[in-house]
Amino acid sequence: MTNPYTPMLILVALGAGFVIFSVGLAQIVGPKRYNRAKAEAYECGIQPSPQAAEGGRFPIKYYLTAMLFIIFDIEAVFLYPYAVAFDQLGLFTLLAMFLFLLNAFFIADAYVWKRGGFEWD
Amino acid sequence: MTTPLEIGAGETALFWILAPISVIAALGLLFARKSVHAALSMIVVMLIAGVFYIANEAPFVGIIQIVVYSGAVMMLFLFVVMLVGRDASDSLIETIRGQRLATVLVTLGLVALLTVVVGQVTWGGAVGLAATNTETGNVTGLAYLIFGRYVWIFEVSALLLITAAVASMVLAHRTRLAPPPNQRAWAARRFREGKHLAGLPAPGVYARHNAVDTPALLPDGSISELSVSRVLAARSQVASPERFADAQDEIEREIEEGSER
Amino acid sequence: MIAQVVSSGVTSLALDGARENPLADFSDTPLWLTAIKAVGIFAYLLIQVLLVIWFERRVIGRMQQRPGPNRNGPFGLLQSLADGVKSMLKEDVRPKASDAIVFTVAPILFASMAFVAFSIIPLGPDVSMFGYRTPLQLTDLPVAVLLVLAAAGVAAYGVIMAGWASGSTYPMLGGLRSSAQIISYEIAMGLSLVAVFLYAGSMSTSQIVAAQAEQGWFIIAAAFSFVVYVITMVGETNRLPFDLAEGEGEIVGGYFTEYSGMRFAMFFLAEYINMFTVSAIATTLFLGGWQAPPGIAAINDGMFNEGWWGLLWFTLKMWLFMFLFVWLRGTLPRTRYDQFMKFGWKFLIPASLVWIVLVALVRGADAGFFGDSTFGILGRDFPVPVLFILGAALLLMIIGFTLWDRAAERRRAERREESVIDVDPFAGGYPVPPLPGQRLVEPGSARVGRTQTDIHTDASGSGAATAVVVSDKED
Repeated sequence: MTNPYTPMLILVALGAGFVIFSVGLAQIVGPKRYNRAKAEAYECGIQPSPQAAEGGRFPIKYYLTAMLFIIFDIEAVFLYPYAVAFDQLGLFTLLAMFLFLLNAFFIADAYVWKRGGFEWD
Repeated sequence: MTTPLEIGAGETALFWILAPISVIAALGLLFARKSVHAALSMIVVMLIAGVFYIANEAPFVGIIQIVVYSGAVMMLFLFVVMLVGRDASDSLIETIRGQRLATVLVTLGLVALLTVVVGQVTWGGAVGLAATNTETGNVTGLAYLIFGRYVWIFEVSALLLITAAVASMVLAHRTRLAPPPNQRAWAARRFREGKHLAGLPAPGVYARHNAVDTPALLPDGSISELSVSRVLAARSQVASPERFADAQDEIEREIEEGSER
Repeated sequence: MIAQVVSSGVTSLALDGARENPLADFSDTPLWLTAIKAVGIFAYLLIQVLLVIWFERRVIGRMQQRPGPNRNGPFGLLQSLADGVKSMLKEDVRPKASDAIVFTVAPILFASMAFVAFSIIPLGPDVSMFGYRTPLQLTDLPVAVLLVLAAAGVAAYGVIMAGWASGSTYPMLGGLRSSAQIISYEIAMGLSLVAVFLYAGSMSTSQIVAAQAEQGWFIIAAAFSFVVYVITMVGETNRLPFDLAEGEGEIVGGYFTEYSGMRFAMFFLAEYINMFTVSAIATTLFLGGWQAPPGIAAINDGMFNEGWWGLLWFTLKMWLFMFLFVWLRGTLPRTRYDQFMKFGWKFLIPASLVWIVLVALVRGADAGFFGDSTFGILGRDFPVPVLFILGAALLLMIIGFTLWDRAAERRRAERREESVIDVDPFAGGYPVPPLPGQRLVEPGSARVGRTQTDIHTDASGSGAATAVVVSDKED
């Protein structure tokens, strides 16, 4: 066996095949009785909310944390190759990594926390 | 070590299947009318780029591409929903006059420039990473590059990231003058004011109807305005409970009749 | 300049890919055998999903003092199968306002991605199948564990797409909450894996299991990472107490409110497979994978630690986590999603980072970065710097707790002083319990007279008890 990704593709193809087959079969086997109320959006018995103006904007209370998420996600990525090659990298790299963590994680986190960035608007 | 690499049939097939999908998705990103469709096209492009990295024997970079971009595009999706709107579509009205013509000209210029520059580049034969991946290890080799030759760039990238974090705080954060009231403070205030100590009345539950748009009845049979959300009242979506109350009376009458018989 | 010194220093080291690359050897496995193994894993998953749905309902039933499903088949075992057939025969409704393509693609994507992770899980050691020696594992990669994170990241789009495409309010809220949840747990989950990679020196699952055979299970060496992983894995599977994206008491069903029939069943199936996936990862990374528990492993020269026995231990360990999931669901109420986010960003992420620093220091001492002197405890050699590191960590912890305690005490004192009004409980003629911010004063004590006047001056905005006092005076 040469390529390690082939078995994964086989398993995913099996899974996806099963899923598509079941959903497709249900379309054929299941009943189809049209009812106007059934095709309405479900809102616990009240009339569905009218389509909102301006395309229906939602307030995202945590947008700031969402921005920080991307930044921290990128930072965390550096830790993986470091952890794997730890033994071969030595003391200097350990210190370099601590400097990185201090800068990018601890100081940034402390600043954002202190300024109230994790509180919702 | 320097023998040129043969590209296998599997990889060729993969390329010719995925590359057109990627191009279509990239075009979809540009031309989709709904902004959410554009965001979804973008994630397809990013995923396929990740798969191409993996096919090019760079599994770590490929997987990280998928992990990071799936998170990042999701945040993009959030901002689309927040700033543009969930169902918003592009308007095709030209707001700046001559914009389209200028765009076409600049694009053609860029294409010409790129063609000339890229056309002059000569590549050596591809070597491939198979040997490095087995001997050094893909991730170890990468770590050795990041923390060895490029260690200063790595440290500077920490500065870049902290700058991004601070910038997002400075530009987007609104500092509150006082801390927002928490649940405890709300409860305390409710008691201090002595209004609605047990919370607002719940909407009505009738024998044949039970929904938030139906007001509850007070003991004297009148409607409790407080039991229905202000939003529904403003949209004038409040249902009249008479129908349901009457239905209940009818049922009760039937039961009474039944017991008398 | 230092960079050059370092890079030349590193170059002189023998870089060793053998430690990082997968240990499992698939060279003796033909493609048709791989296909058979894939079908086996597929069946293993589906049967366990059917079982665990029954298991969950029965155990929850016990916890709530009712029998749970017991009609279809012996002990109700066929209940989940009957439910599956039922959802197949149900009408698959698609709301008018929905986006046709995305609405259908969402459950298919979500369910297909659920299968990816199990291809890299080692279910057991090498066994012989049809005359070939092959690992009980479909495949392995140098980045296997990260692949699971990537698959989960892509699967999250299933949820978001379902929420958006339904064209309805509750699913949209569920989808947005699900993205809020991802923000809360994903970084902490990624960080909790770093300690394991530090110990194992590899991200390949077969290497991690082998490293645990050597160094002991990582639940001990990376105990805190294990706790963080278990918390975040509950978040990833959308289970109580973190089922914010579904929250049936608040937003009906969250992102799958508008789904019915088989498309809904696919979300259901995928959620249970995801539970198995995260449990399998936890087993592989922290509980020694397929290896027999320490006592049993010693019997008869490791007889139970070979061949197909591995599958048994692996399955048992995985089901321990399944019980934990059910137990949590039977015990805990749902958190609010801002609470989960605060918990993630104010506790899980910083604490994981401090833990990583600690583990890196200990590992550095182990690798001889700080000198070679060692001391022996229980027949094992430990480097001396470990003592300093642990001592410093302990000291920092004590200082931290003391500071925290003082700050908490100060806050409490502030709150006490903030708005305390003394009240006489019998002021209105009836005993009235004190409201928040009020303190009882026994009648007859010297302070009563003064407090009464206090209340009168404050009568305009103060509580019900005051109103009683005022009306008494007016009489």
